[in-house]
Amino acid sequence: MNLPRIELRQLTRKLPSGGRELTILDRVDLTFQAGEFAAVLGPSGSGKSTLLALMAGLDRPTSGEVIIDGTPIQAMSEDGLALLRRHKIGFVFQSFQLLGNLTARENVLLPIELLGQPDPVGRANELLAAVGLDDRGHHYPSQLSGGEQQRVALARAFAARPPILLADEPTGNLDGATGRKVLELLTELRRREGTTLVLVTHDPAVAALAGRRIHLLDGRVERDELPVPAVPAGSAVTGALV
Amino acid sequence: MSPGFFLRTLLRESRGSRGRLTFFIACLAVGVSAVVAVAGLSASLDQGIRREARQLLAADLAIRGSQPIPPAVNGALAHVSGLQRTNLRETVTVATVSSRDGRPGPSQLVELKVVDGVYPFYGKLVLKPARPLHELLNARTTVVGSELLARLGRKVGDDILIGGQPFRVAGTVVSEPDRVSISFTLGPRAFLSGEGFARTSLEGQGSRVSYRALFKLPEGSTAAELNAAASAVKDILPVNENYRVETYRQAQPALRENLSRIERFLGLVALLSLFVGGIGVAQSVRAWLTGRLDSIAILKCLGMRPREIFPLYLGQTLLLGLAGSLVGIVAGAAVQLFLPRLFPDLIPAELINPWQPVALLRGLALGVGVALLFSLPPLSAVLRVPPARVLRRDAEPLPRHRWVASATILILGLGIWGMAALQSHSPRLGAEFTGGVALVTALLAGTALLVIWLVRRLPRDFASLWLRQGLAALARPGAAGTSAIVALGLGVLVVLGMSLVQQRLAAQLSAEMPSNAPSAFLVDIQPDQWPGVEKVLHDAGATGVESVPVVMARLSAIDGVKVEQLVERRERDRRWGLTREQRLTYMKELPKDNKIVEGKLWSDPDPSPAHAEVSLEKEFAEGIGARLGSTLSFDIQGVPLDLKVTSLRTVNWQTFGINFFLVVEPGVLESAPQQRLAVARLPKGGEQRAQDALAAGYPNVTMLRIREILEKVLKVLQRISLGIRFLGGFTVVAGIAILAGAISAGSSRRGREVALLKTLGMTRRGVAATFTAEYALIGLVAGGIGTAGATALAYGVITRGFQIPWQLDPLSLAVALGGTVVLAVVAGLAASYRALQRRPIEVLRTE
Repeated sequence: MNLPRIELRQLTRKLPSGGRELTILDRVDLTFQAGEFAAVLGPSGSGKSTLLALMAGLDRPTSGEVIIDGTPIQAMSEDGLALLRRHKIGFVFQSFQLLGNLTARENVLLPIELLGQPDPVGRANELLAAVGLDDRGHHYPSQLSGGEQQRVALARAFAARPPILLADEPTGNLDGATGRKVLELLTELRRREGTTLVLVTHDPAVAALAGRRIHLLDGRVERDELPVPAVPAGSAVTGALV
Repeated sequence: MSPGFFLRTLLRESRGSRGRLTFFIACLAVGVSAVVAVAGLSASLDQGIRREARQLLAADLAIRGSQPIPPAVNGALAHVSGLQRTNLRETVTVATVSSRDGRPGPSQLVELKVVDGVYPFYGKLVLKPARPLHELLNARTTVVGSELLARLGRKVGDDILIGGQPFRVAGTVVSEPDRVSISFTLGPRAFLSGEGFARTSLEGQGSRVSYRALFKLPEGSTAAELNAAASAVKDILPVNENYRVETYRQAQPALRENLSRIERFLGLVALLSLFVGGIGVAQSVRAWLTGRLDSIAILKCLGMRPREIFPLYLGQTLLLGLAGSLVGIVAGAAVQLFLPRLFPDLIPAELINPWQPVALLRGLALGVGVALLFSLPPLSAVLRVPPARVLRRDAEPLPRHRWVASATILILGLGIWGMAALQSHSPRLGAEFTGGVALVTALLAGTALLVIWLVRRLPRDFASLWLRQGLAALARPGAAGTSAIVALGLGVLVVLGMSLVQQRLAAQLSAEMPSNAPSAFLVDIQPDQWPGVEKVLHDAGATGVESVPVVMARLSAIDGVKVEQLVERRERDRRWGLTREQRLTYMKELPKDNKIVEGKLWSDPDPSPAHAEVSLEKEFAEGIGARLGSTLSFDIQGVPLDLKVTSLRTVNWQTFGINFFLVVEPGVLESAPQQRLAVARLPKGGEQRAQDALAAGYPNVTMLRIREILEKVLKVLQRISLGIRFLGGFTVVAGIAILAGAISAGSSRRGREVALLKTLGMTRRGVAATFTAEYALIGLVAGGIGTAGATALAYGVITRGFQIPWQLDPLSLAVALGGTVVLAVVAGLAASYRALQRRPIEVLRTE
């Protein structure tokens, strides 16, 4: 049996808020297989972003486990988590999160160089070409439009060929047409690289592209719509089914 | 991470922050320039002394002593063929002129130099007329400093009296090779020949004469030959008599030691301004990092480890530290070129050579060191930036590592101590300096926080709009004020504190001497002259005339251990107490300013000479290693005498009364060869009259005027104080740079404020007025704290250090306070100029 790419067990995150404890995520159990494309849906405050942060080791759970490729990560040091992200996880954010003092090409270069992979410039140029920005590599983020910035972010996210890609409202700050173009690129790159993609959105149209749709409400999995083609055998999808 | 990738990332990360870090560089450069100026100047002077070493010694080899140079020296040097020797004797005496109308003529203390032989061997003795000294001097002539002629109202060719004998003035001295201009002198120079000096009989009457033999080795002698000659001489000189053998290759060890002492002291003052700059560095880094939090979060998100990001930012501060230090080095070199113009009588321009690699390296090392050290505390925040910030702006910081805070403080403390130790050449002084700076900074910061806390609680309703805005700005949480206040306050403290001390000293000296203190010391009075001298003093209006006998003696053993043996066990600088010429007096009762602390005065009932008693000053006793019950053996001009220590006492030296380390019981020394020493309090006009009369009637008696000596001491103090205040000025500049930096760091917030105020209908002038109120308040608080600190410091130094009464000087305090306010307002408005110029729409649009 193949190990699941990501496994969440009883994942809980509470935040102190004005003297009280606010439960953001409440005992969530989820499993993602290699190559799966899942969308996480839910109204704001339902815990979508927190779920993503916990999966990437950006945040630490109050209780429960995050297991990536069979390794629990919640006890890892900051250094260990950083190395995990370096090797396994790519990101796309709603607000792009490009490094403002780096050119587009340098932003894409950074994860490749961190891994010390050969021919980083070639790979960066290839990715910039794939997102249609091969002539804008020397521009700084402030000189690019929102859509262009998000395409640079996409190129950067795929640069190190991470097995996992986490996207947080990647089209949230873009107009419809631009958003669609970015989504096309995202799904195309994912398909080409065989990446596991977990995408957070509140837009059903975006979620419709995914094979699996997980609905969050008040920190709990309200509904987990499995892909129409059957789940690979033996992958026990736990979670609160309707 | 490969080094190449690290460097690339470092350079990329530095983009866009370069402009914001101007203040980082400015703060650092100010301090570095002070450090470089001090180190470079001192190195220049040191080089000058080494270069001119032969001229300054006027010989290859010199022997000095308070006793005649023993004839055995000739034997020790007999093997050096072609050796030339000149003997010098020096003493202080009085020169006067014979009176025509029976009244004494004017008189003047002179530094007499008696020359037997060619002088100088090296360097130039410039005389007018331009002839060699030995051609002008004979048994009946003298050559003197021209200021002496002016004082006595005589000219070249006239006769003057020295030691009661007439000498014709054959010429004047323009410059002497071995008289350093900054050294302390008691009067103008007068040269006599050996035969001339013999006519005066000054030497036979117990005057303090110092002896010097100058030697010139044959041309082409090697350093080894010189050293061999020096050690041959040292071998035969008795260790228990204070002879000093010096070669020109040692290049004036005493003078250079003095310079080095001043350098170490001023170096610490310069370091202080660098540390104040360090506060600015920390503040700049903190402001800079605040703008980089997102970037750091993204880097962490992309998989960069905290331990990789931290060096990235530390590397940036290193680059900035290098840049700031280089700017400071250039400025420090420029300061050195500029200094001789500022203090022409103090620093000869021809000596200055700003290219002092060691000084420049020191500036670089200290500058970079301060940049790295002071940026450590703010940089440690890098470790706590939460990567979750990429998703949530308000993500809480990562938990603090327990060891990070303690390690940061430890490294900072050790680093500061290391730098202070380097600057002061002494780990202990470095530690004291570090402790002192930490304490003062903590006090200043505590006071600043207290004031801000109070301002926050102050009702503001009563105040005008401008003042209200200013108070609100000062009280704003996290306002930039605190570190600027501390830095500026520290600068004011140093500059004002120093000038308060100096002013108080000057004021004290120009006022009348305290009524119970003597104003003149008279030395070398022969016992039979005393009644006459006493009459002269009374005729000049003297009060409080006291006189005691003085017997000169040498210590030969303590408790049977010979001084020669004791000396060998001592460090060089602690031998003086043993080998000096001891002055003994005898009296039945001690003067009022003496207090017995151990034993009992004259407590041995046995009156026989075998049980003669002596009372020792406590510190002197500790210095020579004598205790209650010790037996001190003396040699009084060939006659041995044993004295038993039966009491120890403390002396209040500040009264200027006559006091002795060694007081012998009466009935022991009465028949020994002796002189008298006297003190008297003379009215202002009476001092010169008494000196003139003494010079006419008792030419061997020397009168030292305390006021004159103190004024000379004050002059030396003033020069040092000038140096400190000059360097303290750098601290003020650093403080101003910090204030400007703090304001500039908050300029986007300030821009928004301006926009809002303008939108609400406030004119540009109105906005400037609110800013002025804010900066004036910062200046007021900083000036107030600094002024209070300076007053406390000066009070301590004046009452404890100098033991003179304290007097508040409200004018200086007001000037310092007002000056700080003006500086803060000017610097603050200059730093907010851009914010003031912005139009509301530009700012609001970007919101």
